[in-house]
Amino acid sequence: MSAAADWASAAAAAPEARAGVLRALRRDPVALAASTLLALVVLTTLLAPVIAPYPGQGRGTADVAARDLAPGAAHLFGTDHLGRDMLSRVIMGSRPALGSAAAVVVLAVLIGVPLGLAAGYFGGKVDEGLMRLTDLFLSFPPLLLAMVIAALLGPSLVHAVVALAISWWPWYARLARTVAQSLRHAPFVDAARVFGVRAPAILARHVLRNALTPILVQATVDAGTVILAIGSLSFLGLGSQPPLPDWGLMVSDGRTTVLTEWWIATFPGLAIFVVALGFNLLGDALRDVLDPRSGR
Amino acid sequence: MLYWLGRRLLTSAVTLFGVVTVTFVLARVVPSNPAAVYIGPLARPAEIARVTKQLGLDRPLPVQYARYLRNLAEGDWGTSLATKEPVLGGIATRLPATLELIVSAMALAILLGIPLGVIAARFPARAPDVLVRVGSVFGISMPVFWLGLLLQALFSGKLGLLPATSRLSLETSVLHPIPHLTGFAIFDALVGGDWSGLRDAATHLILPALTLAAYPIGLVARMTRASMLEVLGQDYIRTARTFGLGERKIVWHLALRNAFPPTLTIIGLSFAYLLTGTFFVELVYDWPGIGQFATNALLNLDYPVIMGITLFGAIGFLSTNLLVDVLQARLDPRVRLT
Repeated sequence: MSAAADWASAAAAAPEARAGVLRALRRDPVALAASTLLALVVLTTLLAPVIAPYPGQGRGTADVAARDLAPGAAHLFGTDHLGRDMLSRVIMGSRPALGSAAAVVVLAVLIGVPLGLAAGYFGGKVDEGLMRLTDLFLSFPPLLLAMVIAALLGPSLVHAVVALAISWWPWYARLARTVAQSLRHAPFVDAARVFGVRAPAILARHVLRNALTPILVQATVDAGTVILAIGSLSFLGLGSQPPLPDWGLMVSDGRTTVLTEWWIATFPGLAIFVVALGFNLLGDALRDVLDPRSGR
Repeated sequence: MLYWLGRRLLTSAVTLFGVVTVTFVLARVVPSNPAAVYIGPLARPAEIARVTKQLGLDRPLPVQYARYLRNLAEGDWGTSLATKEPVLGGIATRLPATLELIVSAMALAILLGIPLGVIAARFPARAPDVLVRVGSVFGISMPVFWLGLLLQALFSGKLGLLPATSRLSLETSVLHPIPHLTGFAIFDALVGGDWSGLRDAATHLILPALTLAAYPIGLVARMTRASMLEVLGQDYIRTARTFGLGERKIVWHLALRNAFPPTLTIIGLSFAYLLTGTFFVELVYDWPGIGQFATNALLNLDYPVIMGITLFGAIGFLSTNLLVDVLQARLDPRVRLT
């Protein structure tokens, strides 16, 4: 929204300003804690099969002899209704969670940024048309459009990712548009035009480069929300299907027995919460550094 | 003002037309046979052909689209494939239960979020501020369905203080039903003087409302804090201080008034969040509202209900935005309506 425009102009500034941002982030204890947390999460994701005590069970193999065990020495997070080690399931679940969140953001950027750059650069009818289109997409309450698309495509993680990307791209389109608008008559863009460089090349080589930082910031700020959104779709049964290890699906699995076997729903939900928290804290810190008005 | 309002209404109407088109397209391009869903798993080809004709699915798409638009305008939002009830009626009967949840969550968000934000801004970087900041980030990072399950496990499972699910206890709904007036259980019990019913409805409402409110409380608190900090740094506040006005009066009267407009925008956004957040809360707490209607429809591919609820949600969202803009202009004369 308007805050996005603020970062866009702040971050589209000179490279030395960007270096300053990194330095400011390194001094901020919250940003440091959040980055450490996220680094640990990424490490877990990369090493998931190695760290998980029962990688096979993490992927879905049942062990019916060990059903519904409370957390203990052998199973730190307990076991689920099929006797699978919850710790392993949660660790293995980090892969689809982070992978799909990244996919949603990348897809949304790939759809939104070119459209937004073109709209901001050319202005006029192109711009008007695109803005009406984003208005349309943003006139649904958050998640509603994604839930509907995911349901209609048929439940699977890939469809959930596609559905979320379709409902998310307008934010990136608007962000890219703001940057392109501010640069369409910048001296170096005018110069390129005078030299006969065609519009697509100008956009790709000169304008896009300046849009990268604000897009990266927006992606960080968004990542927590995307993680929550994917968890929500899976929880409803509109994402990954069993026996895949998926955090939202696991919470849903433990839903009806939460009063007795509380651990089945608790730990996967905790994982979603921790990752979302990490991204939201980092996003907050970034915003504070880039937009001093947001107050500290 | 009137001119502006007219234009706003017109653009909203155009957007709404777009929304209707989107829902229609979505429901028609998807590879699945509504007629088969309508009959159920034991459908025979002849039956499917008959129902396809009955639902008008054999007509060309433009004809179907025109019919869909006409029916919508006439208040016929289609018939649920699963429950065979009219969609608009189905939404209407479930609306009070959902509104009860949303309104109480909104009230919690405003009554807790604004004071928390103000207190945080009054003591920046000190204990209250840190607590509120951490708490609000927690609030917006928690999966709502997970929070609901945790509260259930704690308050009904462990402590046995509050009921875990549903809107009323069996005893109330079967033996001593609350006299039906509006469908809002609390209101009806209050008006009907049904005190045990009121108690029952209220205890059932606490956990779902709190769960739904966590995210908006966080949003409202952090936005109030941010805009209060900005306002408190302005000259007129310093002037008020030099005149010796009490700190309490400065913060709660002079500053909050100018810090409110951004918060109002966030309150509008929170409302939009509640419209879908309630889907999850209703699922977790077995709350018989629109959310349950929606999630069942999504999982069973009940097209007419999905289309109806999408449209309903978009209408709710668009009117909230409109209302927020109008209020914004009334509160702040500097906001120019263009």
